[in-house]
Amino acid sequence: MVTEEKKAELLEKLKSAVIAYDEDTAKEAANEVLAVGMNANDAIFNGLVSGMVEVGKMFEAQEYFVPELLMCADALYAGLDILKPHVQQMDLGVRGSVVIGTVEGDVHDIGKNIVKMMFDVAGFQVYDLGRDVPLDKFLEEQIRTDSDLVCLSAMMTTTMTGMKKVIDDLRKKNPNIKIMIGGAPVSQDVADKYGADGYAKDATNALKDAINMIGSLKQMKDEAEAKKAK
Amino acid sequence: MNGVLRDELLGQGAAVVGFAALTGLLGAEIAHLDRAVSIAVARRLNEDTLGILTRLQKRAVRLLKVQGYRTLVLPPDSDRKKDTFVSKLYALFNHKMAATSAGIGWVGMNGLLISPQHGPRLSLATVLTDAPLAADRPFETSGCGACTLCRDHCPSKAITGAEWSRSNPFVELVRLGECRGHKAAGRQVAGKPNCGLCITVCPYGRKNINEEILA
Repeated sequence: MVTEEKKAELLEKLKSAVIAYDEDTAKEAANEVLAVGMNANDAIFNGLVSGMVEVGKMFEAQEYFVPELLMCADALYAGLDILKPHVQQMDLGVRGSVVIGTVEGDVHDIGKNIVKMMFDVAGFQVYDLGRDVPLDKFLEEQIRTDSDLVCLSAMMTTTMTGMKKVIDDLRKKNPNIKIMIGGAPVSQDVADKYGADGYAKDATNALKDAINMIGSLKQMKDEAEAKKAK
Repeated sequence: MNGVLRDELLGQGAAVVGFAALTGLLGAEIAHLDRAVSIAVARRLNEDTLGILTRLQKRAVRLLKVQGYRTLVLPPDSDRKKDTFVSKLYALFNHKMAATSAGIGWVGMNGLLISPQHGPRLSLATVLTDAPLAADRPFETSGCGACTLCRDHCPSKAITGAEWSRSNPFVELVRLGECRGHKAAGRQVAGKPNCGLCITVCPYGRKNINEEILA
């Protein structure tokens, strides 16, 4: 059995490896976690992710800039790749599947990838369409995978307008689907105007919102089914 | 800091190490990391040049981070993983620009970095940092002089013969389409894209190679 001390030490090691964007140490710590039989979920959430949360704060405080942020994300993935096969069913209350992509005409996918990482970490099933995704593809993929959530990203005002079409198409087919949008030109106002369910300022908020949305969606489904059963 | 770093890297297999101040020359995303450690390794047969470069970069990063400085590793051009987050930033950066700024060499007529001692036979990698490293004296002009050997020998006539200088860094030295076309044809015929005549004929540093072959 792992001692509490060892556990705390490894969590700290994972956390600081992410903060110091040190992929090698992240891998090393992840392997140690497995070697001593520590819980992988614990290591991911209280080690890697809490490191990334710290990085998010540093980024907001303009202590870290884009390159550091990206390198930290790479370090997180380096650890995650090792730990993920050993993850037991996450108990977040909800789990869901999500279709994510950057809309047609837009090739900026750093933000989208970081949001995707948060979903990955949280154990969502992620269908990543990549960048410059033809608008029809989102609906196609949502129907194919029966996903609960669709996330759209755009970095330019010119491509942002494509989101409206995607949202309208999705709603027509499936009124219950939850849609989130994000990206530099996007704001709460835009989200309201386009009829999106959520707007995410950053990756951490995206995940929180997504969990809430899927929670409410599942609840609606359950209620509908309960009614039918009566 | 300079001396320690240089000695360490030279001791571990670097052929040349230079430091550059790139203030004002970098894209906004990486502008805060305005010092470059330019690391050059001499290519030799049967040696894992990439492996050596990667190891040297890690050494430099460790030394700088211990002192509390930030680092950004720009891997050699031939070793760019596309699936990492940070790989998006690689396009913002040019190793040759760092190397000329760090006084390692100039950009020759063949479009390659040419060092006075090693010619175009170096492989480059760079570590950007915010450590206040004293910059080496940059190369301002080409040292090719009247030599046109690479242009004369280029099988695809891709070398324009123009001359590089720091004040005019974007002049077209090599018509890339022609060079690539030639290599693609080579791949079809011989199964290998190898050409490299512009490296072979360059008189800078050629003597060293011959001695090694003879030895």
